[in-house]
This record gives sequence, structure tokens and C-alpha cells, in this order.
Amino acid sequence: MDNTTFNSTFNSSTNGTNGTSDGLPPPIPKSFWTNLLLPTLYLIIVVGSLYTFSTLYRKSQLSKTARLEPWFPAHRQRDIYLSLLHLDPSEESSAGDDEKKLKRVPDSVLKAALMQRALEDIRRIVQLRSSKQALQTLLQRGSVGDELWQRFLRAEQEMEAEVKDVVNEANAFAPNWGQVIFQSANEMNQNLLIKDRMKELQDKLESEKAWWEKKKAGIQSNFLKEHGVEDDVKSEDTAAATVAKPVEKRPGSSDEEGILVDVDVPTQSQGAGGSTKKKKGKK
Amino acid sequence: MEGPETFNQLSLSIDPSTKALTSPDATLASEINDLNQLHRILLTLDTPNQIPAPPAPVNPKRSVQIGKLRESGNAAYKKGTFPEAITLYNLAIRMASDRPGWEASGLVREELSALYGNRAQAYMAQRQWAEGSVDAECSVELKRVGNVKGWWRRGSCLREMGRLEEAAEWVKSGLEFERAGPDKGGVGELEQLGREIEKGLGKS
Repeated sequence: MDNTTFNSTFNSSTNGTNGTSDGLPPPIPKSFWTNLLLPTLYLIIVVGSLYTFSTLYRKSQLSKTARLEPWFPAHRQRDIYLSLLHLDPSEESSAGDDEKKLKRVPDSVLKAALMQRALEDIRRIVQLRSSKQALQTLLQRGSVGDELWQRFLRAEQEMEAEVKDVVNEANAFAPNWGQVIFQSANEMNQNLLIKDRMKELQDKLESEKAWWEKKKAGIQSNFLKEHGVEDDVKSEDTAAATVAKPVEKRPGSSDEEGILVDVDVPTQSQGAGGSTKKKKGKK
Repeated sequence: MEGPETFNQLSLSIDPSTKALTSPDATLASEINDLNQLHRILLTLDTPNQIPAPPAPVNPKRSVQIGKLRESGNAAYKKGTFPEAITLYNLAIRMASDRPGWEASGLVREELSALYGNRAQAYMAQRQWAEGSVDAECSVELKRVGNVKGWWRRGSCLREMGRLEEAAEWVKSGLEFERAGPDKGGVGELEQLGREIEKGLGKS
């Protein structure tokens, strides 16, 4: 009895080994590749996501800087200059003008346009320099956001590129003009400022003259009234004639210096005599 | 500002005979005007390449002419013919202002400051205080330090016109500038004017 059970177990176990010893390699490589698949998949996912993230982030940064509002309004003189460079007047010459057709825009016009461009650049540079300090202070105190500072930095960079561009263009017209052009443009700017200021001051001349005439008439009528009331008719007539004018003008002058008008009459009569003697020597 | 590679193409056209620029765009009118004027001036230049000369060594022709006009103005003033002096000074001022823009602005300042000052003096001799005060103000505006005469002239014009407070303030700021300046002798005169103005103010 024991023998049979032992035999049957022995048989079955050999049967089992007999079954497995028949099939060979395939099942083992299948699980090898599947084992390799998972890590590769993982690596692909990780690297892929990192790459996607970095490209998307860079794109968003670029678009953010592109959306930054420019610091200055459009640079007109630069546009004029570049439009002239690309202009082809021979295309547009209308009928009937066959003696003087331009093949291209003449150099002198381009030079003038370049000088105007340099002038505008100088103005912008001066503006940037003067606002830099103030902007830094505001930024430190936290009154303005970072975006303003970014816009400012971008404007500075663009300005430098623009200056280099202008110098190169100038050198193309004449040797070494690049160094000189910005000096000339600076002087032009200063001279224009001087002219504007002088015009401002000289424009005040009209109002000053009118004010002084009013005042003189007022003082004269005062004088006449004080001293010429009991005299002959002639002085009365003149006093009456001049009374009409100052009556409407005295309110005007007395608004500002009412006290002075009365007190100044005696000083004015003294001053009139005294000042003629006070002449400064001429240069 | 657009990027370095881009620009706005503007609609410009150039007239072949006069070589003047025109544009249908009305907003560009002033810039186009300036350009055309500058272009005309450039065409008259006789430097090589028709390029504006560097600002440093200035062509002395114009300065000599201005100097001559100023001398004749001074002579007329000494003779006592003030209207003639004023006309001569006007001419000199116009000549100095019409200098091409790229010549040294410092020189322009000096010339104009002296000319306005002399014209102010001529106006004062004719007791035209308003014109004198404006011209003296221009002179000081162009040259604040070392210009005692300018400060003094406007101060006395204001005083003659009865504007004593303005005159007092003016003289005070003039003294601040001139005390730091080279002309210490002139400061004394300005101080005296200031004292006289104070006296006038004190009385009222």
C-alpha cells in the first residue's frame, strides 16, 4: 500500500518535470522585454514632460516680454529714414516728367533724414538718463511695479542698438561721420532748446509792454489829478480825458499793486530824475 | 519702439525737381518740414561730402560779422543814437540766431547773452523799461554766472516800473549766482541795488 502511494507520487512528480522540460526559451524573453518596457516608458514620460515644460515656459516668457508696452511712442524720424531707404521713386514717376527722373532718393535727403533721426535719438537718451535715477528711487521704495523697470531696461537696450545702427549708417555715407554725427545732433538739440526759450521770453514782451503802458497812464493821470485840478481848463480836459482810461485800468493794476501805485508817484518823479544819471558802462 | 529689424513703412513721395519730400500723412507734416529745411541747408554746405562739420572748430566768418555789428551798435550807443543802436543789435541777434544748428551752442549762448544785454542797456537809455527788462532776462537766461550786468539791468528795470517785490527777489537770486561766480567786484553793485530796493520796499 505504501508502495503504491509512493509510486503514484513519484510518477506524478516526474510527469510534472517531464511537462516542463519540454517547452524552451520564449516565455522568458517576453517577460524580459516587458520588464524593460516599463522603465523606458517611465524615462520617456519624465524627459518628455521636462522638455515640454521648458519649451512652453520659454515661449511664455518670450510672449510676456513681447507684450511689454514700449517705453517711447513710435520713432517717426527713424521710420522716415528707413522708408526713404526702401523707397523707389522711379516706380512712381508720373507721366510727362522724363527729364528729371530719380533713380533713387538722393544722398543729401538721406543725410538730412539721418541727422533728424540722430537728433530724436539724442532727445530720447536725455529723457532716459534723467528718468533713470527717479525710477530707481521709486522702485526701491516700492511705489512702482517691476514691469515698469523691465520696460525701462528694454528701452535702454533698444536705444543702444539704435545708436549703433545710426553710427553704422553714418559711416556708410562718409568716412568717420559716425563719431561726429552725434556731437552735431547734440549741439542741434541744445541750439533748439535755446531758441525755444528765447522765443518764450520774447513773447512775454507784448504783455509786459501793455502792462507798463497801462501803469504809466495810470500814474500820469494820478499826478495830473493831484496837481492840476485847480489849474486852467486845458489841464482839466486832459485830466478828464485820461480819467476815462485809467478808471477801467486802475482796477486792473490795483489788483496787483494797489498800494504801490499811490506810493510810487512821488518815488517815480524822483526816480525819473535820478535814473538818467545812473548809466552803467557798456561792454 | 519697434524691434531693430522692423519699422513702420510710411507713405512718402519725393518731388524729382525740387527734391522736397511730401507725404499725404498729416501727422508727419512738422517732421517733413524740418527735414526739408535741413536738407536745403545741407545742400548749401561746402564741406566734403556735404556733411555738417563737427561742432568744435567753428568757422569764424559769422562770429567776425556778429562782432562787427556789435561794435557798431556800441558806437551808436556812445554817440547817443539809441534807435540806431537798437536796430544794429537786432540785426546782430538775428544773425546769431540763424547760425546752423550744429555749431557749438556754447558760442551761441555767449554771443546772444552779450547782444541781449547791450540791447537792454540801449532800451534803458530810452527809458523803455518793459523791453529792457525782457532783454535783460534773456541775457541772464543764457548766462547766469558772470553776468552781473544782466542781473543789475533787469533789477533796475523792474524797480523803475515799480515792481519792487519782483525786483528784490530777482536781485536776491542774482546775488546767489554771482557770489559763487568769478566777478566778485560786480557783486558789490548788485548788493547796492538790492539795498536800494529794500529801502523802497521798506517805505511802502
